Amino acid sequence: MKAKRILASLLASLMVVAAAGCSNNTASTSSAAGDAASTAGTESAAGEESAAGETSGEELVVTIPSYKTGENVGAVFFVPQVERFNEKYDGQYQINLETVPENDFKDRLKQLGQQNQLPVLVQGGDVEWLKNIVFPNGMAYDLAPWLEEHPEIKDVLIPDGVDYCTTEDGAIYSMPLATVRASGMFYNSAMWEPGDISQMSVDEFITALGDQKIAFSTAENGWVASLFYTALIANEEGGADLLNAGLDEKITDFNQEPFINAAATLQNLLQNYASANSIGAAYPDAANAFMSSQAAVIANGPWMSTDFSEANAENWSNGFDGANVRASLFFGDIGIASTRSYGEWWVNANASEEEIQLALAFLEFINTPEEIEAYLLAEGGDAPMLDYSEDFTSQLGETQVLADLSADTTEETVFVPNVLDVMMSSVSSTEFGKLLPSLADGTYTPETFCQWLTDKSAEAAMA
Amino acid sequence: MKAAAKGSKPYRAKASKLERKNYKWIYLFLLPTVIIFLMFYFVPIIQVFLTSFTQWDGFTTPKFNGLTNYINMFKTSGFIYALRNLLYWCIVGMFLHVGFGVLTAFVLFQKPRGWKLTRAVFMIPNVISAAAWAMIYRFFFNDEMGILNSIIRLINPNFHVRWFYQSPWAFWAVTITWLFYAVIVTLLVLGDLMNIPAELNEAAKIDGATGWQLIRHIQLPLCRGSIGTSVIATLTARISMYEQISLTTQGGPGDDTMSLSILLVKGVTDYRYGYANAVGVLMFVIGLIILGVVNKAFRMNDSDY
Repeated sequence: MKAKRILASLLASLMVVAAAGCSNNTASTSSAAGDAASTAGTESAAGEESAAGETSGEELVVTIPSYKTGENVGAVFFVPQVERFNEKYDGQYQINLETVPENDFKDRLKQLGQQNQLPVLVQGGDVEWLKNIVFPNGMAYDLAPWLEEHPEIKDVLIPDGVDYCTTEDGAIYSMPLATVRASGMFYNSAMWEPGDISQMSVDEFITALGDQKIAFSTAENGWVASLFYTALIANEEGGADLLNAGLDEKITDFNQEPFINAAATLQNLLQNYASANSIGAAYPDAANAFMSSQAAVIANGPWMSTDFSEANAENWSNGFDGANVRASLFFGDIGIASTRSYGEWWVNANASEEEIQLALAFLEFINTPEEIEAYLLAEGGDAPMLDYSEDFTSQLGETQVLADLSADTTEETVFVPNVLDVMMSSVSSTEFGKLLPSLADGTYTPETFCQWLTDKSAEAAMA
Repeated sequence: MKAAAKGSKPYRAKASKLERKNYKWIYLFLLPTVIIFLMFYFVPIIQVFLTSFTQWDGFTTPKFNGLTNYINMFKTSGFIYALRNLLYWCIVGMFLHVGFGVLTAFVLFQKPRGWKLTRAVFMIPNVISAAAWAMIYRFFFNDEMGILNSIIRLINPNFHVRWFYQSPWAFWAVTITWLFYAVIVTLLVLGDLMNIPAELNEAAKIDGATGWQLIRHIQLPLCRGSIGTSVIATLTARISMYEQISLTTQGGPGDDTMSLSILLVKGVTDYRYGYANAVGVLMFVIGLIILGVVNKAFRMNDSDY
């Protein structure tokens, strides 16, 4: 009887301990940001998982969530870059990557932030979240003193970006960008020879299209359609100013001529020039339409250049050849990018001093001229404050689409932010994409479309 | 007799010494469950209730704002659509989804040839996530290359309907993504059917009951509990349904397929956690009402035998 009691007590204690252990485990693995089991759909891209800030011998190992892993187009450059960092700091620092799908990435960061479990290096996040939550609440490390101590880094950063990232009290929480990558259009020159698109007007572009089709994506956030809509707005009188102003204060009134007129043209493009699978197409469907010669044109950022290299030929079909792809900025000499934005990285102020040193070492590493040039060669763009090496200039010409975009970028080029970036969060993530099929099939007029965006923006802005 | 002597107060036998001794062990073993419930369910539910009366961005200190979130909820254009859709989905779920599951259970109970295989095959959709089904249905309903329209076009070559993107089809397209996956209902009811004592069926047959009378007067009433449970499971699943909508229509076209869960997530996306929690509270209350009504309607606490 006594043995039975002891056994029962032991079992009960074990259950309590196990329950407590489970809850502790949840917290610690979240902080590690490296537990695939705790987060649906995640996996460690860098192999073994390790806790954030774990010290392995003398080496400090951190795991950071990133969407630029696995099949993501950004992984082609980013994963090897992290490996180069690990190699450079072998025995001192190591960064592991936790794969988070791009669609869920910003939400994942918010979750980690709410649980006070953010990793030391944080890859962006929702702008509103950064602006209203992260930075005002001391969650981000002030990079300003560090940048002052490292003029060689500060000098390559785009001044407009530094200015945008600097708060009223002089703090810099988001690492300003050194590069700007304008989204534009890619076209299959074997199907279509349009001439200089960036110097065309909207009407000239549509006329030049003839029977050719554009690969649109209208599902999820309607990414490809959003790029066209942005370019169309920027081509309207006052449109570019409206978009740029939206960076400081989100746009909630879409009942303005530039938005309505652009919606009318977008409707025309969706109805008459969209590839057959466009309605309900997610981005991969649009890319597939382009890379199977079902559409001659697609809009995207320069990072898509990797899809056109021989290494990705397995994704081509129907006679498509990546060598035939050329690129251009949008009609009206519009490039979709903004230098007045937060950078890609910020540092968690609540991390340990050792971890913060690791994060700063990483930021320093990725902003060395060699890494910036490697990045531009891989994903395109421009580093206006950097004096390019001769090697870089000669290598840039080897990737045709990047050379095309670089050649199109002049002092006259008008840069505007993507319209999705100047909308309220739920409007850009849900409403815009949701409305596109209705605009395409004529259920909504351009006016109704804009009224709907306005109404939903007002709802999203309610206290 | 003792109970009668004490009037209407129900009689409870006094626990024996041994039973009283066992209580502490019972409570001790229940303790981890209670702690887990309090930590992971009760406290968050209370938090949701409290913060639904605040303006809260999810990070800073919530500020009390009374009923503003609830008022805003009614001002949201999609809210009425969400309630309407919930009502329609509940009706469809209760009659068609549960009905189909019950019908399948009765067919399988007859043990026709291959019934075990059918039961196993019927189970397969349940091991595929709702999100995966949503993606499958996006292809199924695709206008250009979807199976459905391809078949219809064999008869009518000019047929073009974008099921997920056109009114009023979107509502039904979303409904079909879950409507026929009623294996849980089938298993519950089949379990009850198999538990009916053989003597009952035999006695009814001896009394001259036909097959339909047997089902109507013996078997269906004895499956009351499992059918009630199925209705509760189905209706509460409709309240929390998210993936099937988010991955197909996102609540559109317009607000045609809007749901409370989509409104909740939109609230979170816009850092309106107070508002999102107000929607959560409403979902919780609707769930409780459904639970109460179904419990009452199906007399869930009464014994079958």
